[in-house]
Amino acid sequence: MKKISLFSIIAIAIFVSVSPLVAQEEMTREEWQTQMATYKAKQAELQAELLKLNAEIEELKTQSTKLDADITACEDALYALLGVTRAEVEAFEKELTQMENRIAELQRMSDAELVNYKDELVRMDARAKEMAKSKICMIPRYNDRVNALRQKITALLNSIQKEKTYTVGTWAKDRDCLWNIAKKKDIYANAWMWPKIWQGNRDKIKDPDIIKPKWVLKIPEGKELSKEEKSAANKYYRQKASVSSPE
Amino acid sequence: MNKINNLLIITSLLIGGLVVSGCSSSPSAEELKQLNDLKASVQALEKQVGEKKSEKAGLEKQVAEKNGKLQQCQSDQEIVKKGLGK
Repeated sequence: MKKISLFSIIAIAIFVSVSPLVAQEEMTREEWQTQMATYKAKQAELQAELLKLNAEIEELKTQSTKLDADITACEDALYALLGVTRAEVEAFEKELTQMENRIAELQRMSDAELVNYKDELVRMDARAKEMAKSKICMIPRYNDRVNALRQKITALLNSIQKEKTYTVGTWAKDRDCLWNIAKKKDIYANAWMWPKIWQGNRDKIKDPDIIKPKWVLKIPEGKELSKEEKSAANKYYRQKASVSSPE
Repeated sequence: MNKINNLLIITSLLIGGLVVSGCSSSPSAEELKQLNDLKASVQALEKQVGEKKSEKAGLEKQVAEKNGKLQQCQSDQEIVKKGLGK
């Protein structure tokens, strides 16, 4: 009997110690209670945070609306001081922005490409000068922008107005004559453009058949001969023709 | 003596059984659903809080920019007044 009671006690002990291990596979009530409490606390915390955030957002929206009104009032007062309308300022701003964008495009071009836009740059320069005199330019931010624009236009104009030159070599070594110089790839790559060099250097070249070594010749810009250059060339050809075929 | 022993064993088994069953009882399906609903609600709240935080950040940036614009306008006004000699 003693054996039986000892066995019973051992059996109970084993049952008691093993039961919780088996139960761990599923959620226990205690775990459920703990998780419920944790999530409820988290829920309450988040709800409070949400309420606070909603209140802060509303406050910010109110501030933003008030600021809009303050800015409009301030700008109206500023424009009234200058005697200009909001529409005029907006038109000025639009034009200025367009010019800034165009200049940014032109700045990306090479000097050779830029030469084709010289007239546009000259027009923009004139317009920027007019804009600088506008009352709207008394507003510092517009004044700064117009000045920056003018500086960029000037820099672009300077870069295309840089005079290209060519130093004449010898006939024996370089075969330099106006025809051959104009034919060079880095000059005009077109021999028929020689009159442009001649007309651009009338101070040195009296006779286009005679150029002297070490002369520094200006190479005028352009892809075509001007009316005057064509006329000078035709006169030269006629003279040559009359000399080569005397009556 | 034997009777006492048997009684002791039975009592121990009963108490042990009660204790063990009490400690390891699982939550009911209803209770588990309650927990899952609570978890889903917390997740939804976390999402909402995240969205509100970004909305707030955007508004704060907007307000800061507008404050800067207003200050700039006020400063412009002063400069223009000086320029006009007013």
